Amino acid sequence: MSNVISASHLTLAYDNGKKEIIKDANFNIKKGEFVFITGPSGSGKSTLLKALYGQLKPSEGSLVVGGLDLVRARKGKLQELRTHMGIIFQDYKLVNEWTVSKNVVLPLMIAGYSTQVQDTQAQRLLKHVKLSEHEEKYPLELSGGEQQRVGVARALSKNPVLILADEPTGNLDDYSSNVIWDLMENACQQLNTTVLVVTHKIPTIFSLPYRHFIIESRGVYEVH
Amino acid sequence: MKFIKNHLMFILPLMAILLGIEFFLVFERSTNTYEKSLKEGYSMLVVSKKPMTVEALKILNPHVNASEKIKRENIVSEVAKGVSQSNTQKILLALPYFYNVKLDSYLHTSTLEVIQKDLEADINIKKVEIFGSSYNSSYRLFSFIKFTLKLFIIFMAVVSLFLIIKQMEIWKYAHKERMQVMEIFGAPLMLRSGVLFKVAVIDAIFASIFVSAIFIYIKFYWAAKSGIDVMVQNQKELFVLTDMVILLAAALLIVIVAVYSVVFSSKGVQE
Repeated sequence: MSNVISASHLTLAYDNGKKEIIKDANFNIKKGEFVFITGPSGSGKSTLLKALYGQLKPSEGSLVVGGLDLVRARKGKLQELRTHMGIIFQDYKLVNEWTVSKNVVLPLMIAGYSTQVQDTQAQRLLKHVKLSEHEEKYPLELSGGEQQRVGVARALSKNPVLILADEPTGNLDDYSSNVIWDLMENACQQLNTTVLVVTHKIPTIFSLPYRHFIIESRGVYEVH
Repeated sequence: MKFIKNHLMFILPLMAILLGIEFFLVFERSTNTYEKSLKEGYSMLVVSKKPMTVEALKILNPHVNASEKIKRENIVSEVAKGVSQSNTQKILLALPYFYNVKLDSYLHTSTLEVIQKDLEADINIKKVEIFGSSYNSSYRLFSFIKFTLKLFIIFMAVVSLFLIIKQMEIWKYAHKERMQVMEIFGAPLMLRSGVLFKVAVIDAIFASIFVSAIFIYIKFYWAAKSGIDVMVQNQKELFVLTDMVILLAAALLIVIVAVYSVVFSSKGVQE
């Protein structure tokens, strides 16, 4: 199986390289794998995720995602790469002035799909995340768990090659968290999507085989 | 209500700038006409010993455009009332020749003095009266009004620009989150800022229409009834069709610059 993510001697830093967060990390993630990245607060989990979707340029080493070298990639290529990713955030990052349905189809809208395709896909996805009755509501009318389900539906809307999730259940109760983990397991199993989740704690109910990396003292290590 | 307020907060300062531009255009046209009338209404008096042709005067100074001979008989008839026919004839023979000399443009008093010197350099010319003081006061008043209005227009435009920038800041915060989310999901610049452009262009069109409507009303309804001479005389200059094109182009330019400033200051993904 080919690598979806490949990091070699990767160093991530802020302040023009002065403040190193991750140093000399080496890891590969293959297509269809489910990966957890854990570590203490402030260890650099979210920084690594930012680098994976091109928000932070590596200061040293190489980072290849979906075949694109993120060190040398131009802005246009980065934008194109992001259209093949599904990204889930702890704070949901939904557009509050848009309906649930419009939020879900944002990746399709960006890709230029017709309104008809967008509507059909919105209905299918909202049914999948059990939010069909809320499609015309606005995000702030929903609970936290429901908003995160909208976020998951949005991440899945374009059948992405890679899903990146930053503490997706960090703000949710146990019930809502289990629903989110279920949805992500399904995406990995049924669509063969690579899922990379940054979290402080691996869920106990998780049933899929997964790989686990831990970030500690600026290094990224695999836990066997 | 919030929607209308948001639009008005952008349309009103934009209208203030457009009003300034339109005032400037109208003023330029009106002052050109006024300058023309000042030029046409002005003439200097030349007194010569011998008859002078306009060509001879033009050789002395190229600003001379035309000359009109003042009938000496008229002058004599005024000054020689009750004087005998033979004496009147003697006065007529003793009188020099008088000319009203018109110039090619509206000139500064210092240039008038140069013309006076050039003409008086000719031995046949006895005297040149340029009526400098009345000419100078008209010219100065005219220049002062022109300068004051331009200053006012610039001041209004600067204040309005600040208001537009303030409104842009509000737009920036209102749209920042949406644009950042769209950028994270790979939306190109035009798609991210599409809504802003649409709103701004609509506002620009409305502002141009409102300003044009104000001036069309002034031109066709208010000016004629106002009883103000300057308005009535310059009614034609108050609004022309090309003004609408200029206003729309200016409004679009302002909103495009404003929207781009919001879009680029809302970048959240590249670090």
